[in-house]
Amino acid sequence: MKPLMPLMHSVWIAENDLRQSFMSVRHVVWSLLFPIFMLFTFSFRYGVSGPDVEFINFLIPGIVAMTAMFGSTNETMSIVWDKSMGVFDRILAAPVSSTSIIVGKTMAGAVMGVISALVLLTIGNIVFGVSFANISIVILIILLASFSFTGIGTIISGLASEPREAMMLSNLLRFPMMFLGGVFFPTEAMPMPLPYVAKALPLTYATEALRAIQTGGNISVVFIDAAVLLVYTFGTMLLGSQILMRIITR
Amino acid sequence: MLVIWKRDKPLENAIEVKELTKFYGSLLAVDHINFEVKGKEVFGLLGPNGAGKTTTVRMICGMLRPTSGTAIISGFDISQKPQEVKRRIGLVPDISNLFGELSARVNLEFMGKLYGLDKKTRRQRINQVLELFQLKERQNDKVKYYSKGMHRRLTIAAALLHQPEILVMDEPTSGLDAQTARLVREIITDLNKEGRTILLTTHQIDEADRLAQRVGIIDRGRLIALNTPEQIKNSTEGMRALEIKILDGIDQQHWIPIIKEAEGVDKVFLAEGKIRILSKDLAQAIPTVVNLVNKHGGKIENISVVQPTLEDAFINLTGKSIREEPMSKEDYLKTRLPRSGLR
Repeated sequence: MKPLMPLMHSVWIAENDLRQSFMSVRHVVWSLLFPIFMLFTFSFRYGVSGPDVEFINFLIPGIVAMTAMFGSTNETMSIVWDKSMGVFDRILAAPVSSTSIIVGKTMAGAVMGVISALVLLTIGNIVFGVSFANISIVILIILLASFSFTGIGTIISGLASEPREAMMLSNLLRFPMMFLGGVFFPTEAMPMPLPYVAKALPLTYATEALRAIQTGGNISVVFIDAAVLLVYTFGTMLLGSQILMRIITR
Repeated sequence: MLVIWKRDKPLENAIEVKELTKFYGSLLAVDHINFEVKGKEVFGLLGPNGAGKTTTVRMICGMLRPTSGTAIISGFDISQKPQEVKRRIGLVPDISNLFGELSARVNLEFMGKLYGLDKKTRRQRINQVLELFQLKERQNDKVKYYSKGMHRRLTIAAALLHQPEILVMDEPTSGLDAQTARLVREIITDLNKEGRTILLTTHQIDEADRLAQRVGIIDRGRLIALNTPEQIKNSTEGMRALEIKILDGIDQQHWIPIIKEAEGVDKVFLAEGKIRILSKDLAQAIPTVVNLVNKHGGKIENISVVQPTLEDAFINLTGKSIREEPMSKEDYLKTRLPRSGLR
């Protein structure tokens, strides 16, 4: 076997997963409509007529991070659908290593997270004129955040025995994270002990980093957040791959 | 026709299963199974739902780790060289597990890549199988819009793309209409004529009888018989079969417990709308059955002595019909377990 073949297997698995997702127009539309609706709904504030410009600048980095979370976890959780439809068996029956399968699924999740987040970033720029100073660091943060969310998606996929269970498990994690991760309200303004809870969530760090880049804030905050996201990425992916490996090599 | 994977010295046994065992927790799904599938043979693994067929197949294909025992596929041990085993097997699962959002060609492209086929070979073989299975015209349509028959054909095509020596087919005609099932059976026969070894699992006795050169009967995880269909039928050891139809306006099923009480009757069951009786002593069984039916107000429309079938042998061996046995909770769990999550 060629030395690069395991990596190629991962790339093909990721490519196949993404192709499946993008071939379904409804899937793409529905998954993007949710963050778009959230963006437009929260862009209005009580007592302010028309969209609140100051708040939109605060909101968009959080919405972008949230979109990465939904995009990457949704994509990774396709493993549960694949298992229930038997298509996961198609890959298991092929001469592909367990590691290649897990890496491929993770790559697909991370790419989907980045693509979804970039769509929202573009909408934010075109519709509300919100721009980011350093787009390459923005993409790096989104990528790191997407990898850590993919890890969470992998854990859910490993624990859930069927799609409905996966949806319930993911909502149990994602919705509280969405409201506690500083997307819509500053974590400092939350009542105790919620700011401590927020500190434990990867979405908080992704939101904080993107917000710091957007407002041209302290760059050291961005690096600390990136480091925390990196730790999250390793932690969740290690745990997720261990759980998945137990299923694959059962 | 497809060209099979060549080997200089063909192995006598394409598959050797040795003491293969699988536990799911405390549930014994496959219990120390032993059998061989000879090169270029069609071997049928026959048993009711939940008997352990799919679990056996998944272990043979290197998709499931055995608890103990092993299988040697074309000279490679499933526990030590699972990737080599996978290269030599084409699996046609019990459900058509294709990527519905993708076209037939893209599905086949993906499978070709996973099996390490280069671009030129891939293109050539994809065209070949699409042509062979009459899917060329619809090759660019999303697979989710295909009919059941087309799904099945494409599933078989995907399994043949890497030109495996061995084709493992799990319930190949399950859930298909009669016409498509006949087509699939013809494909199996053709593939075997080309020199492929085929291991098929089925719960349809006539399918095993028609297609397999040798049959293994599996029940509750154990292999209880292994021989040619003819030999298994002969293993009824002096048992004769009687077929009767009773006219009384009541369901034939009503007569089963009544006839069971008749002297000389060993087994009674329904087969294709008729009551089938197995007996070692027909001379005693026939008059007692006739008397019993008359006593209960029935009128025999037809009675005939027939050759024992594979189903008769199955009932003789297991004490139950392969078709009518309702699945127990444990058997149901066995069928569910391989697909579910963390165990």
